[in-house]
This record gives sequence, structure tokens and C-alpha cells, in this order.
Amino acid sequence: MAWRESAVELARARAERPVLAPSPAGALFGVYTQPAPEAAATGLCVVLFTRPRSHRNRMFVELARALAARGFAAFRFDYHGTGDSEGASGFLDPGEPYRDDALAVIRHLRGALGQTLFVLVGSCFDARTAISAFAGEAGAIAALAFLAAPVMELDTMVKADADRKGLGHLGRALRNPENWRGLLRAERWRHMAAVVSRLARRAVPAGEAALPLSASFVEHFRALVRSRARALFLYGTEDAEYPSFQAAERQLFARLDAATRARFETVVWPGRVHGFLEVERQRETMQKLLEWIGALAPLSAAGRGGGAASAQEASWTSA
Amino acid sequence: MPSPAPATPSLEPPASAARETPMFFESGERPLYAVFHAARRERAEAPVVVYCHSLGVEQLTNYRNQVNLARAAAALGLPAFRYHARGHGDSGGDYADVTFAALVEDARAAAAQARALAGAARIVWVGERVGALVAAAALADDPQVAGLALWEPVHRPAEYFRAMLRGMLFSQVAHGARPNETVDQLLERLARDGKVDVHGYYLHRELVESLKPIALAQSLSRWSGPTLVAQVQARPRLAPANAQLAAALEARGARVTTLAVAEEPGWHFISNPAWESETLVRGTAEWLDGLA
Repeated sequence: MAWRESAVELARARAERPVLAPSPAGALFGVYTQPAPEAAATGLCVVLFTRPRSHRNRMFVELARALAARGFAAFRFDYHGTGDSEGASGFLDPGEPYRDDALAVIRHLRGALGQTLFVLVGSCFDARTAISAFAGEAGAIAALAFLAAPVMELDTMVKADADRKGLGHLGRALRNPENWRGLLRAERWRHMAAVVSRLARRAVPAGEAALPLSASFVEHFRALVRSRARALFLYGTEDAEYPSFQAAERQLFARLDAATRARFETVVWPGRVHGFLEVERQRETMQKLLEWIGALAPLSAAGRGGGAASAQEASWTSA
Repeated sequence: MPSPAPATPSLEPPASAARETPMFFESGERPLYAVFHAARRERAEAPVVVYCHSLGVEQLTNYRNQVNLARAAAALGLPAFRYHARGHGDSGGDYADVTFAALVEDARAAAAQARALAGAARIVWVGERVGALVAAAALADDPQVAGLALWEPVHRPAEYFRAMLRGMLFSQVAHGARPNETVDQLLERLARDGKVDVHGYYLHRELVESLKPIALAQSLSRWSGPTLVAQVQARPRLAPANAQLAAALEARGARVTTLAVAEEPGWHFISNPAWESETLVRGTAEWLDGLA
């Protein structure tokens, strides 16, 4: 089913406010969705990370308004150099997440809109940027939804992905004229060389375990572990990013104590999650996020002694 | 022949966000998101630039060029207004309810908003892909149009939708999958079921049907104002449809500028980094500068 805007979501759309958040790289443009006044206040503000901020098929617009209808505040924004925001654009490397943007947004939402407790949601580079905020604002983050992100450096990712490919995949790739045309590009040559090399080394045992995780991911994951935040890790079995996460499960998750592990939920679906190139997968993801974030509200209320900050009464210093 | 890409840009740096005002305005009983770029210098009787985006994901893949053009226009003294049509971006409404008539209604509402904010009487329309058809329809009954810029315009929507579906099938092949439907079968399914998933967006029957009778040349049959035809294709020469449109406009006395941007953006995939075409933005800004 396609998203059909409900009356309550349209009301949340009408209550949205554009916000400019200052950051070291320039003003970041975003849209703040106020929680529905008729819903029980959760005291949680969900920050949605992607670029441009609406996401494919407006997934994050829908999510923001659906969450607001359930009593959550929500904020979606453009990184510097993307969408409406200021600053220079550049290649988004998951190993170098835009932590300054994430921290700037959290601090602006706190200072200008009175929000104190956050849930961060992101996929791929955006998930890596979301988790990077634990290094600096861990105490303000109640939860993290980390979707289909690579957790190795990009060069290593190619090797990890190649490790799960067989000769059948290589055969299909060689029959695809697009791949031959792609060999005109140097980076495609490197990719193909890596795949063939890994296939040739398939006989070497424990090759995947030798692939290192991204140093920045390990740092930010440790900050997440030290926090009290809950986390959802969602992947598809066919995501190129999934083998890297499996390595993280072996290298990091396996060493967590039971109490920490209980805060983390891992969900792996058949097929692909990364890219959200199918509407049905988008719907499933939206539903999962609404349920998972929705379940955080009672925990948040308990942690706050039942009180809820009113973001609507905060002073509006932004556009 | 297409004009060569401008070689010596003289644009000022991007405007500060302090001169850019994000807002919501009403159209079709829905809030539409927009950004107004105030002119950064005085320019007598400057028109306001109104930008019409394309459909679905194409609004996102070309987004940064829209922003960069608006900033370049503002730096030249021309205010600019960008908006998200209903069912797109941060605006209200369902994508499932988007029709060509609704898009034109939003464009006209945007023009009224832009005129009020800028204090300008005249408008320069910039339309991208299907947005070119929207802009062409929106200007039809407006005597105060100073110019029209067409970015890789869609001439015949039926061909555009077929190409969209063909692109999806090519993409499946590129990922090692064997498509189990042809373009004709997908179109049959669209007619039968009402929608087809194209790269994470439903292509809806109502939208396709609403665009069926539209043709760019016909929409512009009474237009003879200054026009920029900016082609964004790997080929260096103008495609026949663009060349024919330019010739037809010139035959009516229109001052036509052509710009060939030999780039191949993946219209249905958000690239990393996001596609930014200096040639397209600079060429359009210089054309805008020459209008006044």
C-alpha cells in the first residue's frame, strides 16, 4: 500500500516549522514537526538523518508526521552542502561521518526548542553520522535506529562483499555488457580486481574475520555501549553492507555483557534494506520504526518520572 | 547548434541563508514548502524566478542544482522562489493524488506567492523535466512572463514514462536479475492495477493518464518570449525534439538560447556526492542575467 496521508498527519504537516540550525559549516535547513497536542507527550524528539531530508519516496516526511501523531517531536534536516543547507558538498564517506552536523542539530534543538532527549534514525552514511553523535552527546540520546550501514572502510567493504559472492555471481557479472562498459573507469577496475582476488582466495580460512572494522565505527560504537541508549540494528541479507555488520557482531557484539546486549535489538530481513528501492520494503521499515520507537515512550516517561517537556512552549528562535 | 558552455563565470559566492526564507504556503488546501531567496543586490524591475521541479525522485536528484541556481539568481539581483509541489518533499498531500492539473495549480499558487514576496510583477519560469510541462502550462494565461528556462524538458510524457520503465529494467539487468516483464507488460499492469513500483516510488495510473494529452510544443504554441533550452544528455548536439522546439519558437520570433550540458545524471538514483552541474547552473544564470 502507498502512504495515504491521514487527517491527523495533515494536521501535523500544518504545524511544521522550518528551522535553521547553525553549524560550523553553515546554516543547516530543517523541518521541525511538533507532537500532536491530543497525543500523550513522550518527551522524545526523533532526529531523522539523510539527504535530501525527505528521503526516497518521502519516507522521513511520513515518519515524522506519523511519529508526531503519536506524541513525538521530529526533526529532519539537510547536512551541510546538501539540500537547502549552506556549505560545500562533497563525497559522503561513512568512515568520516558528519558528526559536527549531528551535534549542532542536537544542541540547537535543545537550546532553541527545549528538547532534551533524542532518538536518532539513519541508514548507511546517515546511520554512521547518527551513531557518531554518541561521541559528544551520549547523555542526551535515548535510542538509535541504525539501518543497513557499512561498518568497515569502503575499500574493505568491497572485499567483505566479494567474500560472499560465488563463481555464479562472477559469471553473471561477466555476461552483463554494463559491467564491461564500466571497466572504462579506474574505480570499476579496482572493484572487479578486488572481487576476483577475494574469490581466488576463497580457500583461505577465516579470511573475513581478518577484515578490520572502521576505526570511527568502533569508537562510536563504544560510546554507544557506554551510554544507556537502546539501539536497533536492521539489515537485509542481500545488503552489500551486511557482511561488514556480521563481522561487527563477531568482533564487538559477542564481547558485550548481557545487560548491554539486552539494550540492542538486531533484525535481519530477507532481501535488501539498503537504498529502500522497493515501496513494500519502505512500508515494512516504517512499520518497524514506528513500533520500535513507539515502545520507547513508556521507558522515556519512566525515566523522567512521568513528566514531559513541552517543546511547543519553547521559544522559537529559528526561521 | 548548441551554444558552448560559458567559459568565464562571474557569479558571486552562494548567498547567506540569512537571505533565504523557508516557509509554507497554501495550495489545493495543503501546505506547500518553499524557500524564498531575496535578491542580494538592487536590480530595477527585476522579475522573480520560480522553479518547477520534476516528478518523484527526480526532484531529489536535481535538488542541489535548483538551490545553486536560486542562489546564483539572487546574487545577480533576481529574487527566486523554490517550492515543493503537493505529494513531494516537505509539502502536504499524497503522491498518489498528484495529477498534471494539480501540479499546474501548485505552480500558479507558487507564482502568486513569489510575486507577493518579491514585489515583482514579472516571472521567469524554470522548469525541469516534467516541471517544464508544468511551467509551460502555468505561463499560458499570464501576460507578465519575462522568460522560460527548460532543463532537459520532457516533450511527450508517454515517451518519458516508457523510458522510466525501461531504465528500471536495465537497472535490474545491471544487478544480475532477469526482468520478468517487458515495458509493455508493465504498462498493462499499470493500467490494470493502478500502480507500478519504480525504484521505490509508485508510478500511478492517474498521473500517467493526466499527462497523456500534454505535449510541450503544443503547450508553448502561443509562447514567443525569451527561452532557454538546456539539454542534459551525454550527446554533444541537441536532440531532435529540442532542436525542433527551438526552431519552432524562433520561427515565432522568440529569442532562443540553447545550452548542451554533456552530463549523464542518474535521474533515478541519488548520487554521492549529489549531482551538481556547474555548467547548467552557470549557463542558466548567465541567461537570466541577460534577460534584464
